[in-house]
Amino acid sequence: MEVSTLTTEFERCRPALKSYLLRITANKQDAEDIVQETWIRAERSLENFKGDSSVKTWLFAIAQNIARDHLRSLKRWPEDVGDIFREAGMKDPDFMREAMAIRHTSPQGQFEIREHIAFCFTCVSRSLPLEQQLALMLKEVYEFTAKEIATIMETNEAMVKYYLHTGRGKMIDVFDRRCALINKEGVCHQCTELNGIFNPKQNAQEEAVKIQMVRDAAKKDKEHLFDLRMVVMKELDPFTSAAAELQLHHLEFDRKVMEQHPTQA
Amino acid sequence: MKALLTTLTLMAMTTTFAQVPKASTTRTTFHRETSVSTTIKADEAIIWALLTNASDYPRWNSTVTSIQGNIALGEKIVLKSTLDAKRSFKLKVKEFEPTKRLVWGDGKGRRTYLLKSNGDGTVTFTMHERIGGLMFPMYARYIPPFDESFDRFAADLKKESELIQGNTR
Repeated sequence: MEVSTLTTEFERCRPALKSYLLRITANKQDAEDIVQETWIRAERSLENFKGDSSVKTWLFAIAQNIARDHLRSLKRWPEDVGDIFREAGMKDPDFMREAMAIRHTSPQGQFEIREHIAFCFTCVSRSLPLEQQLALMLKEVYEFTAKEIATIMETNEAMVKYYLHTGRGKMIDVFDRRCALINKEGVCHQCTELNGIFNPKQNAQEEAVKIQMVRDAAKKDKEHLFDLRMVVMKELDPFTSAAAELQLHHLEFDRKVMEQHPTQA
Repeated sequence: MKALLTTLTLMAMTTTFAQVPKASTTRTTFHRETSVSTTIKADEAIIWALLTNASDYPRWNSTVTSIQGNIALGEKIVLKSTLDAKRSFKLKVKEFEPTKRLVWGDGKGRRTYLLKSNGDGTVTFTMHERIGGLMFPMYARYIPPFDESFDRFAADLKKESELIQGNTR
């Protein structure tokens, strides 16, 4: 492969690679740094690329390799991480002041419930064991096959199937218990609460039912609702969406909260 | 025709029964040994992953309430079983040969899990436990039979492994 072809392919993959790295590291700076390092290593090892996989799979494998040790050193987050963020945000006047400033001045400062659904999944999926989180993101959001994921994660297809089965099952269970958008008994109303704060003139319930997952909640098909949650994830790029700056501000705050949280000691 | 139908019915029943794990126990004065074996249509890596992910056990295994600790060579684990809900079993992982052999135990007993690939996409899973020692006759009557629990363990493992193997999502 010529360098010019690699450049073209890299630029084509860059948005997906960058959003994947943000979603697994929860760190904008880390995501951007790993994307740059991926390019450097890919160009340096271009002659090693034999075409056994697609360029996209190869680039994701390089990025995963760079991120792996760092990710393993990080503690996993608890599944009720949203409650921790809520409490921390309410205690910190600077957080809400900054968020409001972004909301009113930034072209990427909108608040939308579906953006928060994607943000929420990024955070809650960190409660899974690392391998399950990575496999689930690669399959359900970035649409790699089990074989490609095995290449990226340097494991075998059987293990990928195990990670996907267990990870998906756990996420379905967590959201079924917690998410009030799909379960009236759900304990987490954070997206509609925030919609009330950032969009006070809107009716949060009216906004919520614009989302297919919320409309289909009455069918109580948990697998289907999870698939629809993944559709929301696929539709949004956390760096370019209309809510990107607001959500990145949230994510940066939340990551710092978790770095200081007792569960991470 | 009737004879043929009877034969086919019997063959179907035999096949079905053959797929249900059935434990057996042997006793001597100083030991008791229980074994169960079943054929699982799944990759041994999947079965191994299920056997070695401690926190995941309660999700798929109806005989285990919890396992704390890391199932790896030399590690100590604490197992709670439905067999005796009030007790916690403090065990040590004594052998750990990925996708082939796992052994844990304490001073009184030793449980062995064996996986053997049959070369046709199936794996023979065997679980064996030997308990006993010189003092065994004194406490033997307080230890409940393992057979039913072993049957359920093997059946659960077979069901979950085959579900994951067949999951093509």
